[in-house]
Amino acid sequence: MRFLFKLIAAFFVLTTFRGCYPNGPEYNSDFDLVYTNYSSEFPFSQRQTFALPDSVVKLTGDVVTNPGSPPSMLSSTYSTVILNQLKQNMQQCGWTLVDKNSNPDVILLAMSTTTTNLYYYYDWGYWGWWYPGYSNGWGWYYPGYYPPYVSYYRSGSVFIQMVDQKTVASPQGVGNVPVVWVSILNGLVEGGSADITNRIQTNITQAFTQSPYLKH
Amino acid sequence: MKAVILLLLVALGSMGASAQHNSFMASYPVSFPMGDLHSYINKPGFRGISFEFNKAISHETYAGLEVGWNVFYQHVTKQEYKDGTASVAGVQYRYINAFPIIVGGKYYMHTGSKAAYPYAGIGAGTVYVERATNFGLYQIYKDAWQFCMRPELGLDLQFSHHESLFFAAKYFWNFNTSSLDGQSWLSLNMGVRVAM
Repeated sequence: MRFLFKLIAAFFVLTTFRGCYPNGPEYNSDFDLVYTNYSSEFPFSQRQTFALPDSVVKLTGDVVTNPGSPPSMLSSTYSTVILNQLKQNMQQCGWTLVDKNSNPDVILLAMSTTTTNLYYYYDWGYWGWWYPGYSNGWGWYYPGYYPPYVSYYRSGSVFIQMVDQKTVASPQGVGNVPVVWVSILNGLVEGGSADITNRIQTNITQAFTQSPYLKH
Repeated sequence: MKAVILLLLVALGSMGASAQHNSFMASYPVSFPMGDLHSYINKPGFRGISFEFNKAISHETYAGLEVGWNVFYQHVTKQEYKDGTASVAGVQYRYINAFPIIVGGKYYMHTGSKAAYPYAGIGAGTVYVERATNFGLYQIYKDAWQFCMRPELGLDLQFSHHESLFFAAKYFWNFNTSSLDGQSWLSLNMGVRVAM
């Protein structure tokens, strides 16, 4: 009986600790988020035509130093995927693609940004107890090289704006163009190009699925 | 919180007043979410552990302290969440880690059987609840100390004079706090009790 008692006790302990680690994301797509928002004042159903640039702007910072010249662009591999998917979804919603000089009702602008998140950094506070002259806010850097145990992931966003091209006299004043719909696709920029392409297409379609007001 | 401290003092005071058979209990809980917790995670939690130390007050009555850890988890496939004109779609991973600290008493019924003892108990205390929602690359996190009432029913099956197997149903009735609604659950525990 004592052996049985110990066996049962061991079973409880093993069962408990085996189950202490809940599952988490398995695939890159598990990290994908699709955000949309819109102006409820804008009459989407009364607009028919849209225009689209032939490139996707790569956001590299907050300030554009030379607004007159083209900024960095996303590689054609992914910009073609984004622009083709936007065209397809807009046309499926009943919109007609026109040239930007043909007086479109709205213009779609797509941008992308990526961030590299490094793991080798650890907080300076670990050495604050000993390091001479330690001060809050200090951090490590590795001049001209990286330590061997670098681990990182890249996250990225595609930011799509729909601007109202017909409202010339903006209530906010000249030069303020109303953005009537936005979508942000956010997730990991990891995996093969086929996987990333598939996720971009799926997520742009999701943005339209969760924006039924765009459909005519 | 004052009630918790009072109960703790009563329980600890009564422990010192007796020199009879004390017991240590360890159990594995399967927990079923209730109320607001059920609307957040509707799957039972199969992860957790519970420990109790009970001091004999009389042949039938015990006062004791329980600490535990209950984990709830649910993978929510891609869904759309709306807030006004905004919509967000994504996969969610929802986690609750709850750590009850309960003081209370148990009454064992002597039914004539020398091997099986039904018992009933009541306890009160606090539960530290951590609620984390992983949504894309982001996490929404809340935590709270919640007041808890915990009634229980159980059956103690003795293997020997010092060792027994027990089954218990416990209801952790947690009260709302300003940051988080009460995260209540019903747990079915299987465990071992050792007389000390």
